[in-house]
Amino acid sequence: MIELRNVSLKYGEREILKNVSLTIKDNTIKAILGPSGVGKSTILKLMLGLIKPSSGQVIIDGTDITCMKERSLYSIRRKMGMVFQGNALFDSLTISQNLGFFLRENLKLPEEEISQKVAEQIQFAGLEGYEDQLPESLSGGMRRRVAIGRALIFKPHMILFDEPTAGLDPVSSKKILSLISSLRNHNNLGAVIVTHIIDDVFHVADSVAVLYQGKIIFDDVTEKLHEAEHPFIRSILSDKILEL
Amino acid sequence: MPLTIIRSIENKIVLQLKDFFLTMQEFFLFSLRAFVAFPKMIRYWRDVFDQATICGTDSIPIVLVSAISIGALLAIEVGNLLEDFGAKTMLGRSTALSVIRELGPLLMGLMLSARFGSRNGAELGAMQISEQIDALRAFGTDPIAKLVMPRLVAALIMFLPLTALSDFAGLQSAAYMAEHYHRIDPGIFWNAVYPRLAPKDFVVGFLKAPVFAVIITLVSCFNGFSARGGTAGVGRSTIKGIVVSSGLVLIANFYVSKIVLENM
Repeated sequence: MIELRNVSLKYGEREILKNVSLTIKDNTIKAILGPSGVGKSTILKLMLGLIKPSSGQVIIDGTDITCMKERSLYSIRRKMGMVFQGNALFDSLTISQNLGFFLRENLKLPEEEISQKVAEQIQFAGLEGYEDQLPESLSGGMRRRVAIGRALIFKPHMILFDEPTAGLDPVSSKKILSLISSLRNHNNLGAVIVTHIIDDVFHVADSVAVLYQGKIIFDDVTEKLHEAEHPFIRSILSDKILEL
Repeated sequence: MPLTIIRSIENKIVLQLKDFFLTMQEFFLFSLRAFVAFPKMIRYWRDVFDQATICGTDSIPIVLVSAISIGALLAIEVGNLLEDFGAKTMLGRSTALSVIRELGPLLMGLMLSARFGSRNGAELGAMQISEQIDALRAFGTDPIAKLVMPRLVAALIMFLPLTALSDFAGLQSAAYMAEHYHRIDPGIFWNAVYPRLAPKDFVVGFLKAPVFAVIITLVSCFNGFSARGGTAGVGRSTIKGIVVSSGLVLIANFYVSKIVLENM
């Protein structure tokens, strides 16, 4: 379980997050919805301990990671997988090497076991035949699937998606959303999805938190979003995509 | 009105100073973490080997070209000068001292600052803006141990032989010009070189190699890690890395010579 308790974050004089509190339970998919540049991706980085909040607490499975040192954080981070907005694949490595990179780095597994796990993820992501290609030769949707495979290979409890369908064509977006939905059914995973596309939220999320001007203005099950009366939520329900 | 202007300038200076000291603090911690990661050298031996090839073997041509040209030019110019005093036979000595103590390591340092430093800055900067460094951290790998420490170890290992190569090439080209331009017998040239070189001349020259290795690697990597603002940001951080490391190489060159020569 991931908990953010009264988290605030300032960059210089600019306050990005103001007293944000969120809870993400295991085996559920939570979406964080908000316009671009409001601090959604920052929330994911806070959950991983990649950045520290100015105040408040970040708690992962009961452990307060707010003031934890970088070295101690590594074991916590391995409980979570992260799919970055730009995929963050290593461009000089092949797809297989990208998928197996962190297994080779962090776990002392025999090479056969690593190859087997890589093959499983290749199959799961539907990338058979592309094992030896470099990321640059794949389409945006395929790269995203590699990034998801890389995040899943550790068998994390929770997976964090930063704008999983941003920049993808409708067909690829649909495939990625189906892939995310299947995670819950097949692997019993929890997920946090940061997005500015409201359709994605209705497609996959059990619950949704809406971030507006650094504050959470709505946090409930997805179905109740239609009942929300906040003018911003009303406007996004009619516009569907947030480009504010 | 003038008071407002003075206050605004004062605020700007204070902010810039604050920024400078914060950057220095970050750089110090970054460097410390790179040295603390040294025990992981065995685990990352492949990365060390790759970086040694990049900064060592692949840099041989540029180091040779710069050393040969400066050695030849030095022999021509110093030879002309010594001829006015009827001391052309001293060409070997003066060239050897200049090349071994100063120009060999300095040119090697500047060339590697441009070649190895720019590569580090651009590569790590691109990794930073494409979130690859964040990905390393997110999946439990220390990016400094994986990306910076191997570069530092490789530079510390390879800069010494490159300095020796730079000295050797510089002296050989100077000897060639002495023979073919100034018509000095090679025996006379080399006789003026060997017996007159003292251990401190080699200490001055070779002590600069690890100092330059640390400066170039850490400054360029730090700037790569600090890249912000897309591809333009990568360009800015790469340039900053080269400019700062080249400047520091020049300053360190002066102080290493001064300290060693005054104390030996």
